[in-house]
Formats: sequence, structure tokens, C-alpha cells
Amino acid sequence: MHPPLKARRVVYAALPIAVATALALGGCTASPATAEANSVAWLYNVFLAAAGVVFVVVAALIGWSVIRYRGQAGDASLPPQTHGNLILEVVWWALPTLLVIGLFVISAQVLNATDKRSPSGAVRVRVEGFQWQWRFTYLDSGVQLVGLPDRPPQLVLPVGEQISFELVSADVIHSFYIPHFLLKRDTIPGLANRVDLTIDRAGTYGGQCAEFCGLLHARMVFSIRAVAPSDFQRWLSEQRALPPSPSP
Amino acid sequence: MTTAELQTPRPAHGEPRAGMVEFLTTTDHKQIGLLYIFTSLLFFGLSGVLALLMRAELTAPGLQLMNESTYNQLFTMHGTGMIFFFGSPLVVGLANYFVPLQIGAPDVAFPRLNALTYWLFLAGGLIAFSGFLTTSGAAAFGWTAYSPLSDSVYSPGAGPTLWIVGVLLGGASSILGAVNFIATIFTLRAPGMTMFRMPIFTWNMLVTSLLIMVSFPVLTAALAMLFLDRALGAHFFAGGDAILWQHLFWFFGHPEVYILILPFFGIVTEIIPVFSGKPVFGYRSFVFATMLIAAFSFSVWAHHMFATGFVNNLFFAITSMAIAIPTGVKYFNWIATMWRGHIRLQTPMLYSIGFLFMFLVGGITGPFLASPAIDYAVHDTYYLVAHFHYVLFGGTVFAAFAGFYFWFPKMTGRMLSERLGHLQFWPMLIGMNMTFFPMHILGLNGMPRRVADYPADAGWTGLNVIVTIGAVITALSIGVFVYNVVVSVFLRRGAPAPPDPWGGYSLEWWTTSPPPHHNFTSLPPIRSERPVFDARQAAAPGAIPDRTMAGGDVAHRPVRPGGTDG
Repeated sequence: MHPPLKARRVVYAALPIAVATALALGGCTASPATAEANSVAWLYNVFLAAAGVVFVVVAALIGWSVIRYRGQAGDASLPPQTHGNLILEVVWWALPTLLVIGLFVISAQVLNATDKRSPSGAVRVRVEGFQWQWRFTYLDSGVQLVGLPDRPPQLVLPVGEQISFELVSADVIHSFYIPHFLLKRDTIPGLANRVDLTIDRAGTYGGQCAEFCGLLHARMVFSIRAVAPSDFQRWLSEQRALPPSPSP
Repeated sequence: MTTAELQTPRPAHGEPRAGMVEFLTTTDHKQIGLLYIFTSLLFFGLSGVLALLMRAELTAPGLQLMNESTYNQLFTMHGTGMIFFFGSPLVVGLANYFVPLQIGAPDVAFPRLNALTYWLFLAGGLIAFSGFLTTSGAAAFGWTAYSPLSDSVYSPGAGPTLWIVGVLLGGASSILGAVNFIATIFTLRAPGMTMFRMPIFTWNMLVTSLLIMVSFPVLTAALAMLFLDRALGAHFFAGGDAILWQHLFWFFGHPEVYILILPFFGIVTEIIPVFSGKPVFGYRSFVFATMLIAAFSFSVWAHHMFATGFVNNLFFAITSMAIAIPTGVKYFNWIATMWRGHIRLQTPMLYSIGFLFMFLVGGITGPFLASPAIDYAVHDTYYLVAHFHYVLFGGTVFAAFAGFYFWFPKMTGRMLSERLGHLQFWPMLIGMNMTFFPMHILGLNGMPRRVADYPADAGWTGLNVIVTIGAVITALSIGVFVYNVVVSVFLRRGAPAPPDPWGGYSLEWWTTSPPPHHNFTSLPPIRSERPVFDARQAAAPGAIPDRTMAGGDVAHRPVRPGGTDG
């Protein structure tokens, strides 16, 4: 048998609260590590707050309707047969319209910030996706890093300097994805993409191909180590002294 | 409510035959509807088993049960099966059975074309899944078949070609079915059944059919081009334009999402008024919102392509966000329909309320993905997987079960157990939330979709364990449904269904359960969108005699929650 009436009412009331709590607890993005990612995380949190309000209000209305207007056993009377209400309907066409306009405006502002291109980045890196790893080339120095499915490459980059990624593909479509940068961009055969960003926090950040690209898609992992500019220059000159790594 | 039963002469053709022969040769919309529903549920089960295998593999890091090749085939065929061979045909099956009944028609406009669509769909499904029988396995490029990965160079073998042919046949079947529904709704409505007296389910099926008519031919053409690329080296996509495929695919693919949800909005909009004892609140507003969603759905496709960097992201952001408006309006209409009603929490209503809560979660994560900057972060991660499973499982599947429990008595002549229906509901609700909610967090923390494996040090293992346990609980709840159906129909233990077990409003509740060969021996006067309700009121002015009692016959008392059934 199903639980008695009161217990079920508690369940209905608890459900939206539980989901809202879970949303609030689990809803945060990975901690942002670039200047651009900070504004994306801010945008995400605004959306999350709006979504939370919408969820709680709508879920409460549904829950209230079900609990308050539950029919009584043996009551055969007919409830009022309301067919509609013009004013109410105008109001609830207007409310989501206003919300959507607001969310769009801030989305456009953040998008303009994340998509903006600087004239020329201080560090230019070509990212080439291939089945199933990455080839990173520092365009100013010619240093090249090539990964293998069981030997992921580590890209070293300076903190606080403008970095330009030029994204290309050798075969199928891949996607250059770094969770802590709150960013991904596809690498597409025949088309070059570009992303500019500035890392503002030193550390090591994992990355991975996000566009399914065939058999060993899951092994297209890499990492980015963000270091102080002086350490970056030292690392770069060390690399330049090494013989070029063999192509796979 | 019994009226004089008129004996109409049965036409010479199309007379029912016995047993299997009848099912194999039928042109009756109800038999074809049942074939569609039964077959689509088999594909639901098959695709669900593929999902369980995927979950088993992802429970722990490392490859335990299968290699990458097998895993990639599993998620490809899971998506393909669920979208093309469960979702779309289930829509067609329910519409087949109920659109003619709801408009008071004896059958669809083109019964033989209708039979053809079923056999095309079955052939398509079997061909697509037959890839598993080839040496190189089934297609393994995802249900979206992105080019150039889907080309013969990167995906050699027969499996991918079988996938193209199978999906193409399934799509062709949908197009022919849509033609049939549009013709049926425009030409075969009973006298008095004006467009604005049609039940909302029929309205939504009309709009869905129009969506199919516009979107599926684009998929068919794209698949033909992909086939030419693979077979003859045509270079439309591979060696041609690498993202052209995505434009064509999503020009179909996004309307397809609405094809998979609008009919189920319709089902819920049939159920909520009946079980609240009220008419639907804002009928015309509701129809207008449906049309608006359909119209918008053709201007949003490239929100699947924000991360390509080659579409106008702002344009597709505003069109995609705008869809939240008519969808939000529907929620207000549903709530206002329940408001001050007399709500009966029988199984169809229970699943409809489950739908309201779960689709709400899927709905509010939609605008996140419509905002390009946020999409850069969460696109193609488990966040996206969570979003569309709340929409398609929390939305479509919950509403489908609402529809099954609502219409099962009409289709089979037997009631399902209310007790088992409740017993299925709670594990399904808990299971699906355990399965799909943690995926939001996994996605935000960077777990991409479509990966056979993940690093042990990524911190994703615990949530993946919860997801797998949730999937098992969900599967068990579906098992309860199968048991319920087997006991009711195949063991013949379900209570016999009266014509109108729920106190329904639309014409399908006027005829017997199941309806006779050409559906109606009489029709009530049709003066509103609730002809059966009106007839019931006319018979007993002032009040509904007993909304839970069909035909006023105590022997046919339907099963109620807390009642003593099976």
C-alpha cells in the first residue's frame, strides 16, 4: 500500500525543498582560473539565482495546488469551471518575457567580454587536435609539444599575460576544453578558430577533448601549468635547447 | 450515459481477421497504434539495457567490462534507439490510436499509408540495430553522426552505413505519418468538432506533424548526402564543409526535441483537467503557446554549435531563450487548471505531477545552455546530459507513463493496478533523480560526455557510483510496469475497463474500451472542447453524479488509490 495521506503530503512538500537545496549545493561551476572565466562564473551564478527563484515559486505553486485542492473522498460536487482569465494570462506572458530579456542582456555583455580579441597576444600557441591527442606549438619560439594517448602533454603558460590560442584540426572535429577556464572551443578541419584569454591564477589545470572524435576520445587529456612569466621564459628557453620531440 | 447503440453496417473491406494475421495485415488505426506502441517500448527496453551497460562500465575508473569500441557503439545506439525508434514512434503510436478517436473519426485519412509507415519504422529500427551483428560492430559516432567522423575514412565498415539506412527509413516513416495526421485532422473531424473544440492532445499532434513535415526531410536529405559521401566519395561534408552537417542535422535535431515533447505536453494537458474536475485554463493561450514553440524551434538550431565559433551566437541565444516564454506560460496554465479544482491523485495524475516537477528542472537548465558564455563551459559535458535527460526522461517518459495509465484501459479493455502504478512511481522518481541530478555536478566539474573512461584522480568516482545505483533503481521501476501490464492483460487479471473509467472529457471516452472496429456507434453533440463532460452534465444537471464511476454502473467501478485491486 502507499503511505497514508499525511505522510504523502509531507513527501510532496519536501520534494521541491530537497531539489532546491541540491541545486544550491551542487550548482557551482569549477573555480575559475582566468579573467574571462570570472565573468562567466558570475553570469552562471546570476542564472542560478534566477533559476532557483523560478524553481521554488513554480514548484511551490504546483505543490500547493496538489495539497490544498486535493479532492475529498466521497465529494461529488463540481469545482468552479473557470475557463481562463485575460488579465492573469497577460501577466504570465509578460513575466517570463521580462526575465528572458534581462538574462539575454547580461549574457550578451559577458559574451562580448569572453569573445573579445586583442590585437596580438603576448603568447601565441597553436593547438592542433588529432586522433587522439594534441600538438601544441608556441608560434613565437617554435617549441612544440606532442601528446600520446598514454602520455598526455603539459602546456606551460604565463600568469597575467594575454594568451592567444589558434585552434586547428588535423582530421575530425575535436574540442579544446579546460574546465577551470570555463571554456571550450572546437578545432575544425579546414577552419581556424581563435580564443584569447588571460590566466590570473597559478596552478595546474586539467583539460580534455570535449567533442566525441572516435575510438580513444576519452584519452585526449592534457594539462596546463600556469606559472609566473619569468618561470615561463626560463622553461621556454630550456625547451628550445632540447631536440624537437618526434612526431607520433 | 448509455445511449441507443446504433448498429452501423461494417464495410466489406478491412474486416478484422483472427490473431497474428490481423496484426500483420491490419490497416486499422488502433491496431497499428498498438503495434507502434509495443514496438517502440521494445526499443525503449533495448536502448535502456545499453544505458545500463554504459553505467556499469562508468561505475569505476578504468575499463572493466568492455573496450572503448564497444562503449562508443553503446552510447551511439542508446541515443539512436531512444530518439528515433522509441520517442518518435511512440508519438506516432499514441497519435494513431487517439487522434481519430478524439475527433470522432472512424480511422485515419490514409489507412494503407498508415500501415506502410509502421513497417518502414520497424524495418528502419532493425536495420540500424543490425550493425551489432556485423564484424566491425554498430555505428560508433554518436546519434548526431558528426562529419567528418562519420565518413568512411574515420568510421569504416557496414555498421555506420546500416545506421544511415535505418535512420533514413525511420525518418521517411515519420514524414508519411505526419502527412496522414494532418490530412486526418483537417478532413475527418466529426460534425461540430471545430478546430477550437479539438482536445489539446490532437492540437499538439497537428503542430507536431507540421514540425515533422518541415524538419525530417532535411534529415533525410542530409543522410542521403552522408550516404553518398561514404559510398561514392561525394565530399559534401568530409573534404567539403565540415560543419555543414551540423547545420543540417540540428535544423532537424532541434525541432525533433519539440516533436518528442509537444505530444506529451498534450497528454498532460488531457490528464490534468480531467483529474482536477475543471476545463483546461486558457485553452486558446495554450494552443497559441504550442504554435509559438513550434515556430521558434526552427530558429534555434545553432545553439548546439556555439562552441564551433562559426555561428552568430547572440542571434541564436535570444531565439533559444525566447522559447522559455511560451513554455513558462504552459506551466501557469497547468497550475491554474489545478487551482481550486478537486484533484484526484490516481496514477495518470500522479505521473503528470511527476512530469511537472521533473520537466521544470530540465526546463530551467535550458536557458543556461542558451547563454553562449555559459555554454562554452558546460557544452558537451555531463551537464548537458543531465539537462536533456530531465527533459526527455523527466518530461517525455513521465508524461508517456501518465498517458499509458490514462489510456491503457481504453486500448486494452482492462485496468492497470493502481497499487503497482504507485509502486512504480516512487522508485522511478527517486531513481531518475539519483541518475541525472549528479550529472549536473559532474559536468560542472569537467566530465565530458561520451567518454568510456575517466581518470581515477578526477574526483568523479563517488558521483558516478550514485548515478549507476540510480539507473538500476529506475530500471527496476520499469520492471514493475512490465509486471503490471503482464498481470493485467496477458494473465487477464486486470479489472474490465468501462468506457470511461476516469470521468473523461474527450470523445475517446464515449465509446467502448477497446473501441469497436470503426470506433463509434454513436456520438454525443459536440458543443465545446469537452463533449463527453457536456453529455454527462446534460444527463444529470447540476453535478457530476460520481466522477470516478463510469457509466453509473457499480459493477464497473474503476480502481482507485487505496481501493482493493488485483
